[in-house]
Amino acid sequence: MNTLTALIADDERLMREQLRMALERVWPEIDVVAEAQDGGQAVELAREHRPDLVFLDITMPVKTGIAAAMELGGEFPVVFVTAYDQYAIRAFEEGAIDYLLKPVEDDRLARTRQRWQQKQQPTPQDWQGALLKLSKQLEKPEYLRWIRASVGNHLRLINADEVLFFQSDEKYTLVQTPACEALIRTPLKDLLPQLDPDQFWQVHRATLVRVSAIEEVRRGERGLMLKLRGYGPLLEVSRSYAHLFQRM
Amino acid sequence: MDNQNNAKPWRDDFSMILDTIEKGWWGFVDMVARLGWGRLMLTILLSLMLGGILNIEHLMLVLSLVAILVKVLALGKHQAEQEADRAIARSEKAEQQAELEALKRQLAETRMSALQAQIEPHFLFNTLSSVCQLTETAPAKAVVMQKALIRYLRASLPEWRDSPGETSLGQQLELSRAYLEIMQLRMEERLQVRLLVPASLQNARFPVMMLQTLVENAIKHGLEPKAEGGAIEVDAKVLDGKLRVAVRDDGVGFPEQPGQGMGLANIRERLAMLYGAEAELSLEAPETGGTLAVIALPFTLI
Repeated sequence: MNTLTALIADDERLMREQLRMALERVWPEIDVVAEAQDGGQAVELAREHRPDLVFLDITMPVKTGIAAAMELGGEFPVVFVTAYDQYAIRAFEEGAIDYLLKPVEDDRLARTRQRWQQKQQPTPQDWQGALLKLSKQLEKPEYLRWIRASVGNHLRLINADEVLFFQSDEKYTLVQTPACEALIRTPLKDLLPQLDPDQFWQVHRATLVRVSAIEEVRRGERGLMLKLRGYGPLLEVSRSYAHLFQRM
Repeated sequence: MDNQNNAKPWRDDFSMILDTIEKGWWGFVDMVARLGWGRLMLTILLSLMLGGILNIEHLMLVLSLVAILVKVLALGKHQAEQEADRAIARSEKAEQQAELEALKRQLAETRMSALQAQIEPHFLFNTLSSVCQLTETAPAKAVVMQKALIRYLRASLPEWRDSPGETSLGQQLELSRAYLEIMQLRMEERLQVRLLVPASLQNARFPVMMLQTLVENAIKHGLEPKAEGGAIEVDAKVLDGKLRVAVRDDGVGFPEQPGQGMGLANIRERLAMLYGAEAELSLEAPETGGTLAVIALPFTLI
């Protein structure tokens, strides 16, 4: 009997054990040569042992199973194993890459074995495309939502939804929330592209305001002024940004 | 019989006349009351002059004095009535406002707790899968895990919760204890749990699901992503009349990457609704690594 070698990667020992036991029952010619506890280790051990098959859990520390698979770049056939992953299931249904749901059913694993034997493995192109799609779904590019700011001696994490406004103040940028004011070192011009433009508007050379915090737009002697919810002083809108409020 | 029938309209007529006189009197009083002192004096002066011409100055003097007297008395009555009207309007408005506020709060709290009860499917399926495995290899542990899962589900699903708003820190801690017990069985030596809430604070009032959100965050975003795992610590103390419940982990620290914060925004919103400016959720990145989340709210016992 030809022996196949396999690598199992899952952060939970019980889950690795579960898969190993299922393999012993359904696919006895497989020899599990290594077990990894996270995605980084999976890549290392795969390169070291060069197994015929890699079983990867999707949610793992260090690297997700998908990131690990991408890094291995189709060098090894991969079977994903997941407890629940709506993205994975959707994506795999389109492609021919196999995936298994935990707890791994013997019947289902037997089908994986069949596919393997019939050499119905996906071509590398399909494989990379599907992986890219998956990794995009897992890591959506998003805007900065947590601001690390010092308040006294503490490094505080402030949610962008809490911020009333950012105001540049010579060396620092002031972060004002209803509860406190804090300082960050990021200058306003570096901060601006990191924030959701629908959420924060620049209303002055030195001021970014969270739009949903604006309670009132008042017409003052020097132009438009903003009254923010739960904050006394008014903020000035400079002329070049007044157009933002023309329709309000 | 006839007499009575006749008598009734007569009495009605009489009371109607009395009513009219009364109304007329109070109308006069109100009019005098509303009339400014200046105009009243002018009227009196004119009346006195007219009285002098007509030779009834005594009568006019008496009438004038009556008018002044009425004015003095009526002014008080008028003011009192107006004040009473305003007070009634105010209290009605305040009552409506309070009722509306209470309703709003109730509605929002229900909505929030429904939102909060969405159990992570990933957690549920992984746990059930672990129960399967333990059933085969370590049945005694499988029973422990399954029982913890039942306790967790009972405490977190809204329709089985005893009272959505009124819970104690002790109850909330029990829910998190069940959850952490499951996570410890799954993560094994990768997770250490320290629950350091003193018995004296078990009966402190504490909103539903808030502690659990912080605990889940610490596991999901702090410790699970860390290869070697780490420790989670929950403690509580009272400082300056405020109950401070802290959840600390030594995990990978707060993610630079977004995608989270839904649960935290939820806590913040609910705290503001329940306690206004009296409560706060703060998040810190301690120098030693990991994340420290603290909920501070007014300390009261159940």
